[in-house]
Amino acid sequence: MKPAQRRRLPGFALALPAWLWLFVFFLVPVAVVFWYSFGYKPGLFGTHANDVLSFDRYAEVFTPTFFDTFRNTLWIGVAGTLLCFVIGAPIAYWMALKAPANLKGLLIALVLVPFWTNFLVRTIGWMVVLSPEGWLSTALQSLGFEPFSILHTRSAVLFGVVYNYLPLMILPLFVAFDRVGEVVREASKDLGATPVRTFMRVTFPLARPGIVVGVLLVYIPLMGDYITATVLGGAKGNMVGQMLASQFQTAQNWALGSAMAIMLILMITLSIAAMAVLAWLISLPFRYQNRVRLEGVPA
Amino acid sequence: MTALDQTAEATRAPETSAAPAPVHRVRKPLADRLLKGWSILVFVFLFIPILVIVIYSFNTGRLLIAFDQFGFDSYAALFQKRTLSDAVMISLIVGALSSVFAAALGTFAGIALARKPGKWTFWFVGFLLLVAVTPDIVGAVSLLPMLVFLGQDMGLDFFNNGIVRLTIGSSLFSIAVVTYIVRARLVGMPANLEEASADLYSTPVRTFRKVTLPLAMPAILAGLLLSFTFSLDDTIVASFVQVSGSTPWPVYVLSALRSGLRPEIAAVSTIMLVITLVALAVVALVLKRAGDSATDIARTMSGG
Repeated sequence: MKPAQRRRLPGFALALPAWLWLFVFFLVPVAVVFWYSFGYKPGLFGTHANDVLSFDRYAEVFTPTFFDTFRNTLWIGVAGTLLCFVIGAPIAYWMALKAPANLKGLLIALVLVPFWTNFLVRTIGWMVVLSPEGWLSTALQSLGFEPFSILHTRSAVLFGVVYNYLPLMILPLFVAFDRVGEVVREASKDLGATPVRTFMRVTFPLARPGIVVGVLLVYIPLMGDYITATVLGGAKGNMVGQMLASQFQTAQNWALGSAMAIMLILMITLSIAAMAVLAWLISLPFRYQNRVRLEGVPA
Repeated sequence: MTALDQTAEATRAPETSAAPAPVHRVRKPLADRLLKGWSILVFVFLFIPILVIVIYSFNTGRLLIAFDQFGFDSYAALFQKRTLSDAVMISLIVGALSSVFAAALGTFAGIALARKPGKWTFWFVGFLLLVAVTPDIVGAVSLLPMLVFLGQDMGLDFFNNGIVRLTIGSSLFSIAVVTYIVRARLVGMPANLEEASADLYSTPVRTFRKVTLPLAMPAILAGLLLSFTFSLDDTIVASFVQVSGSTPWPVYVLSALRSGLRPEIAAVSTIMLVITLVALAVVALVLKRAGDSATDIARTMSGG
């Protein structure tokens, strides 16, 4: 109608630069890697070629070494996420619901400081602590203990990832418990529920979305991590991320590296799907119980 | 139960030491005290490696791991070793460039998402989520062939520049985060002010500059500084896209890991930690000024 109306841009116009940028430097590159994974490495100096397409690189991926690394990564990923949850949930619960309200800001800052310290440097800090010649090991040796032998083992990597990703678990859990708030919990207690019952029937169900976020925030980057494994696990490498990186950086075999990258994505997606199914199955009896109880409540 | 809690809160002595409590004192439930003890342990755990790095930065020995004597030699190395100070400079430059760039693109995208929602919003948010959750390593190995293609096969010399490559690498995740933060802030505010501005015959551009941008400003600043710290922290993507001659600080540390860690690594890390902390304190202050609660700040700072 009016001239101003004609000049109006479509709604997404402002988002276009960001979309374009991420399209060119994220989506297209990932698609190209997918394409490379069907190619091969031509000769010693080439990195990739795609004139003959095949699934051979995927067949090549499935070697015994890869399976071992694959299993290791999955084990570290699942065990690390579980440990993060077991360690992080109580502290998040305490921070959100039990700690004095005026301290909350400070406590969050305390969780954030390690989170924002350089990832690599934090890990090196643990390397210093865990090394057989480190101060802790020397001190324990003078008390008659054996020198540390944890460094460059899978346990050291597990320890490192739990440390590195713990803040990523605590923060969303804190937000989730904080959202539940004291009001509904007090209502539950006033209605005669025991603390355990209040937790199981009120706090936990309300905090569940935050738990899912925390688990995903820890699990996904953990599966692709190779810094922790390089620092604490030694050069021999026992995570898929390290294998993948070496294909691109050392072996210069982009075709095989690409196939590994696609396998890593598949592995993460499938294992999350499996976890979701598992969580759903576990929740079935609780859901049934809750539904029966809720029928008595006037809507 | 509640009354008991409050009494416990009131009677809790200012010094919560491990000294045995008087018999008649109302104590907090055992579970609560266990939780508190556990939390303190976890905080100690979180700070151990950081304290170790800070302490070992005063190590005058040759190797980081073996503490020799207390001294400031390692801090002096920052002024003597060119490669070291160069790496820090590269990181700071890339951090500044990529955070400004990500803040600009993310702000526009976030405003569009909050103010002009439509069918496209769903797909765009999904896309941003995909960018944010893809493991760094996959993004890194994908970006490398792209940059090689643009720089060498297409002959665009711009993409052979180390700073440009690093800036692109660390901008991707940051754009997603800034967009999310800006959107979250504006969604929480009705568009009343913008409508009023339009009713008062302000042009769309003027409304954008005088109303929308100031409203989003705390989120933009938070996003900017978060992007800066992300960029300083970015090891994986940087180690793939860097070219020799422009090694950023984390990649320098990663290669030092193979050739032997020296105490100056800890010294520079300590300085970088102080820089990061100052940046974060500024973010927290800005958000607090803007009226966010502790929970909101936690949500914003953890990028979701």
